[in-house]
Amino acid sequence: MANASPIRIVLAKVGLDGHDRGIKVVARALRDAGFHVIYAGLWQTPEAVVRTVADEDADWLGISLLSGAHMTLVPRVLRLLREQGLEHVGVLVGGIIPEADIPKLLEMGVARVFGPGTPLSEIVAFLREQSEAKHAG
Amino acid sequence: MPDDLLERFQRGDRLALARLLTLLARGRPAAPILAELGPPPKPARVIAITGSGGVGKSTLVGKLIEHIRGQGLSVAVLACDPQSPLSGGALLGDRFRMPSRPDDPGVFIRSLAAPPGRGAIAEHVEPMVRLLERFGFDVILIETAGAGQGDTAVRELADIVVLLLQPETGDDLQWEKAGVLEVADVVVVHKADLPGAEQVESQVRTMLGLSDSRQTPVLRVSAKTGLGLDQLWTILAQCPLRRPGRSAGGRELLALAQEALAARFAAAEAARDPALIQLIDQWRQGQLDDDQATAALWELLRPSR
Repeated sequence: MANASPIRIVLAKVGLDGHDRGIKVVARALRDAGFHVIYAGLWQTPEAVVRTVADEDADWLGISLLSGAHMTLVPRVLRLLREQGLEHVGVLVGGIIPEADIPKLLEMGVARVFGPGTPLSEIVAFLREQSEAKHAG
Repeated sequence: MPDDLLERFQRGDRLALARLLTLLARGRPAAPILAELGPPPKPARVIAITGSGGVGKSTLVGKLIEHIRGQGLSVAVLACDPQSPLSGGALLGDRFRMPSRPDDPGVFIRSLAAPPGRGAIAEHVEPMVRLLERFGFDVILIETAGAGQGDTAVRELADIVVLLLQPETGDDLQWEKAGVLEVADVVVVHKADLPGAEQVESQVRTMLGLSDSRQTPVLRVSAKTGLGLDQLWTILAQCPLRRPGRSAGGRELLALAQEALAARFAAAEAARDPALIQLIDQWRQGQLDDDQATAALWELLRPSR
């Protein structure tokens, strides 16, 4: 088969904002690029997202936040991932993240922050590149 | 495979379960893993939920999870969604309709992509079911990616097949054509809060009455209002398990034998074994019929050779 080990990515909206348009567009684009996308939906708690990542044995987690709560919620997700032995899972953050917060998020362990207007091809290319690097290493 | 994976599984480590499921999904031979893990603590009740897209399979599974947990039983779900024939990608969007508490160890949900042309089921689901059974889940739900025509793959996997229909799904001939009614052990007319459910129920009863010696139960259920859920679970909990010998390891032995046979065949093929080539030629040319050729092949691949 052409794609025996597709990359598995969980996409979730964490926190209280109800805007899922962006993440659905990303989900669609990743599917069309050959990824297996597990869509976990809206209003997820960090605990629920990490449980999903664990049970799905995902390679990546993409979370979208438009509520402004990223500096609380993202560190909690990262901490839970570490506590549960899931530090190998790459974390992407999307949504509205102020420029000044991006370096802080990267420092905490986020692999990449994709703001509004990011070309979908850029996300796909990043995931492919990173996954290859992971497998090579 | 990391050495400690099986050991961690035996200790009840969910991450080990999750990783082993991935390995099986990617085609890792199941027999050695399952043999190493030994027999399951108890046989699981394996229930498939099938029906066309949009009929409410995920939502009903979500409700069943709650119901099953309410009975104090643990439940694992294998939720299949279609895989794109073009890109090989898949959008697996079932689990967000199955809310469960993130700290509840009694619920496990795995999303799987069903490649085209496989009867709406992902590959390697059978060993995955057996792995979940070994982990100790009481109930295993398989959600198909939609009702395939003549969905027999599902029937081989599950003890009980539940077919979901909904009001205004089309005339009765549609079901007949799809050949799905005969696969079902239980027929659920879902979305029974909508008008037309009673008509669908009576149509199904009539159709089943024409040919059904199994007395297939038909009931109306609404995940939205909760109508019929108790009754559905009562039926599912009482259905006899189709494969009583499964937990005794009979299936595994068969799987081992199949793998051994396939390996011997591949080796003989790779070595261009003249006897094998001759046998295949004779069969192709019709000098041997299927039964004769099969018997000759078995003889040829016997371990003593």
